[in-house]
Order: sequence, then C-alpha cells, then structure tokens
Amino acid sequence: MNRRAFLNWGTAGLVALCAGVGVSLGAVLRFLVPSVFYEPPQSLKIGNPADFPFGAPTFLADEKIFVFRDRDKGFAVASAVCTHLGCTVGYLQSDQRFHCPCHGSVFGANGAVQHGPAPRALNWFEVTLTRDGQLRVDKDKVVPSNYRLMV
Amino acid sequence: MNLIREIWQSIVRRDPLSTDKGKSELVFFNVWLHVHPAKVKKENLRFKHTFYLGFITFFLFVILLTTGIALMCYYRPFPPQAYQDMKDLQFVVFMGPFLRAMHRWAAHGMVICVFLHMCRVFYTGSYKKPRQFNWVIGVFLLLLTLSLSFTGYLLPWDQLAYWAITVGTNIGSYAPIVGGQLRELLLGGHSVGEAALLRFYVLHVAVLPTLIILLTIVHFWRVRKDGGLSRPVWKLKPNKTETLVTIGAPLEIAPLKTGPASKDKTYGLMEVVTGKPIFETVTPEEEEDAVFSYPYAFFREAIALMVTVTGIMAISLFFHAPLEELANPAKTPNPAKAPWYFLGLQELVSHSALLGGVVAPALMVIALLAIPYFDRNPSRRPSDRKWALWLFSIFVVANLVLIVVGTFFRGPGWALIPPWVHVVAGAE
Repeated sequence: MNRRAFLNWGTAGLVALCAGVGVSLGAVLRFLVPSVFYEPPQSLKIGNPADFPFGAPTFLADEKIFVFRDRDKGFAVASAVCTHLGCTVGYLQSDQRFHCPCHGSVFGANGAVQHGPAPRALNWFEVTLTRDGQLRVDKDKVVPSNYRLMV
Repeated sequence: MNLIREIWQSIVRRDPLSTDKGKSELVFFNVWLHVHPAKVKKENLRFKHTFYLGFITFFLFVILLTTGIALMCYYRPFPPQAYQDMKDLQFVVFMGPFLRAMHRWAAHGMVICVFLHMCRVFYTGSYKKPRQFNWVIGVFLLLLTLSLSFTGYLLPWDQLAYWAITVGTNIGSYAPIVGGQLRELLLGGHSVGEAALLRFYVLHVAVLPTLIILLTIVHFWRVRKDGGLSRPVWKLKPNKTETLVTIGAPLEIAPLKTGPASKDKTYGLMEVVTGKPIFETVTPEEEEDAVFSYPYAFFREAIALMVTVTGIMAISLFFHAPLEELANPAKTPNPAKAPWYFLGLQELVSHSALLGGVVAPALMVIALLAIPYFDRNPSRRPSDRKWALWLFSIFVVANLVLIVVGTFFRGPGWALIPPWVHVVAGAE
C-alpha cells in the first residue's frame, strides 16, 4: 500500500468512524425519548354543561383546570398550572384572582400576570361541545382569554 | 499451625510491621492502601489543615452506598407502590426507619462536606499549580453530589418529593433552546409521573453512582500524582527563594552522568525521567518531618471514619427522615420548596426565572471551573491573596444567605415571613 492509498483509506475510515459514533449517539438520544407517552390525554370530556354551576369556577383537580361558567358569556377553561415553575394555582373568589403558592405569582381574572415572577399569563384552553352534548377541553389548543363557548 | 501460617503468609507477604520496611510494604503491597504514600508529612496530618473533610465526604459516600443498597431491597420505583414501600420501610421493615434516616442524613451531610471541602481547598490555595485539574474534577464531583441528592429526593413519592422535583425540573426548563427538551428527556414525559420516577431511579442507583465513583478514583489518584496534600499555609516560607530539591537528591545538583548501560541491571522509569518533577519537591528538613502512614495516617483516618459513622447513626436515632402524604399532582403544598441546597436557586428564581434559574447558576459553575486557570497569582499565602479570599467569601456568604432566606424566611405564597412568626396557611 502506498502513501496515497493509505491516506485515502485512512481518511475514509476516520470519516466512517465519526459517522458511526455520531449515528450511535443520535440513536441513544432518540432511545431516551419515549415513542409513546403513557400520560393522561390532552383532549378530554369533562361532563355535561349542566354539571357546572354559575359564578365561582369549578376546579378539576386531576385535569388541573378551572371551568368558568357565566350566565351571559358561557364557558371558559383556564389552566391551573402556574407559568413560572408549574405549581398548581388556586382561585380566590373573594378577590377574583389566581394565586400561586410557590413563588407568590398572582394572576387576574383574565389570567394576566399582576404580581410575582410568572413570565406569562395563564393558558386558556379551547372548550367545545361534543355530539353527545358533553364539554370537551383540548389542552393542546391554547386560546385567547376572551374565548367563550355559549351553550 | 504451619498450614495456618502458610495461608496467612500467602495473603500477607510484607515484613513485620515493627520494621520500617514492613510499614512501607503494608502500603504498597496492598491494592486498597497503596493510594497512600508510604510516608506522609507530619504537618499534613494536622486536623486544622484539612479538617479531614475529604475523608469525611468519602466515608459519607460509603455510608450512602451501603444503606442505599439495603434500601433497594424494599423499594419498587413506580408511583403508588413506591410510596407504599416507604410506609413499609417506616413501619414494617426491621430497622427500616433507621436505614432510611441514615441514608437521608448522610446525603445532606455529603452535600455540606463537599462544599466545606471546596472552601478549605480554596482558602488554603490548594487548587494552584500543579493541582488545577483536580479542582476541576472536584467541581464535577460537587455537581454529581447535587444530582445524586436531587434524583434521590423524588424516590419516596410523597408531596415533598413530588413538588420539589416539579419545581426543580421546571427551573431547568428555563435554559435557552434546549431547556424544555432536556426536562422532557429527564422526566420521560411532560410532567413528573411514572416515567420520571423510573428515570430518576435509574440515574440515582446506576448512572450517577458509577460516574461519581469513577471521578472519585481520578480525584484520589490526582491527589497523589500532584504531590500529595498541599503543605499547610503556616508552613510556607516567607519568601519563595528557597531551593527546592528532589527527595534524596544531593543538594548540589551535579550534571547527570551517563554511561553505557550495564547488562545485568534493569532500568525503571526513574532512570529515564530527568529534570524537575511536576509535583512539589521538599527541602531536606521537611523530609525529616515525614512519618510512616502506618500507623499515623491510618489511625487518624480510622478515627474520622468512626466519628462519621457514629455521628450519622446518632443523628438517625433521634431524627427520622421526613415522609409526607402521597404525592398529589392536584394539590400544591403552600409553600412548595425545592430541596434545601437548591433553595438559594429557588430564591433567585422567585425574582427572575431566566436570570436566577439559568444565568446565575451557569455563571457560578463556570466561575468555579475557571478559578484555577483564572487566578494567576502563584502565592498560597493569605496575605498575598486578599482579593481572591474576599471574592470567594462573598460567593460563599451570598449562597448561604440565599439558602437561609429560602429555607426559613419564606412562608405561604413565598411571602417574606420570619421563622418566628406563625402563619396559618392561606384560605384557598
């Protein structure tokens, strides 16, 4: 084997080695990303419209959402997950604001940040009516805070 | 009788310990002891030089390994069972609460001792040439210790664990670009759940212990290769013009004579290496200060080991590891706090998530890593290092103040409430 062939084969070998290592690392990284998330569904039925009272919002603990029902405006669903570090916020009916227990963020009735370190307003989720007359919330669809569903 | 002696001599081949040769051979014929030098400088054994913090940290790690393996026998890493197993450990398993408490307090102790050890090394200037790289390894060991503690924190699957990890991992998700994905990779999902518990378990019992053991080996090895412990600051000469000589070398360094190699001699590395060794050299009078590791160093290490183990045992007898109610994703305790060593971070995050949660800690780690290369001042004497000492002290005090504020002065809603004021958690 002459020098030219050696260098050519050597370079090709090095490139192949790097590519192999790179692909393997990529595969390891991909392996760590689950192909299926065994998590609660993002889109779910929460019950009949009549189940929800007017006035104070209903807190659904498992779904971490507040369901607001207004006589004139209809339904709206707010996320209870604080946008700061993911704690579950509480809604105080007396001052009509959301309070986060972790770092003291306060959100107004429309979800906007009024106080504290939260970087963004609370999310509002799309709520629709299914064929069988139930309310469906889709947590993948964030809507403006003035979004309402009239039933 | 002869057979017993033969067996003993097949295991222990050294000379009797009453001889100097035997004392040396005890060290370098033994795979576990040979990380020690055969002789150590008397001054280096002084408690006030190192406070034995490195050893204590290592012994705490040994306690953590043994109690951790014991606890693994009664632990299943998926959500409802994990918590049931905690209850079993608390009420059913023989010595369960004691083992769990030992594991918990040793973990906290290790975080504290690693930090104190780092402070000792800084204040004595022991990160300076030739020990720069060992300081870097030490910083990684600090980070690994924190990671081990953090991953272990989730395993009981109680409210404390669940929300500490929720808050902790959300801090990480503020890292630019990769933050969110990194969190998902760590949790194996979008929130702290089954997948997260399993991943934290794997990290806690397999990945991180392996890494920390590997790095500890390098850390110990480098201590030897960098010339052993640094000399106590009070032993440093007032000026740096002292003549340094290699141990055993004549004072007047004669030019190296080379001759034809003899055929009936074997040559080791010491014949090949010439010039000044990279490690610290000692003056002849300091060589006289040296004592054999056996028994002087080993005795002190044994004392440190016993004090560490009995200390952790004593604490564990009186204080149990906390266990709150089952993790409830719907109900955030008020206030929800990260593990105490991250409360300084949480305090910063409560002011600004990006600056406090990502920028400040990243800068802190980079600064720690850069210290030995950034600090060009060769002197280890405190009087020559006023600026360095001041800066590092500010760093230490700032961290402590933040942790104390986060731990004791933050009440419901993260409001600033002194610990001596009793607050009834808010109406929700």
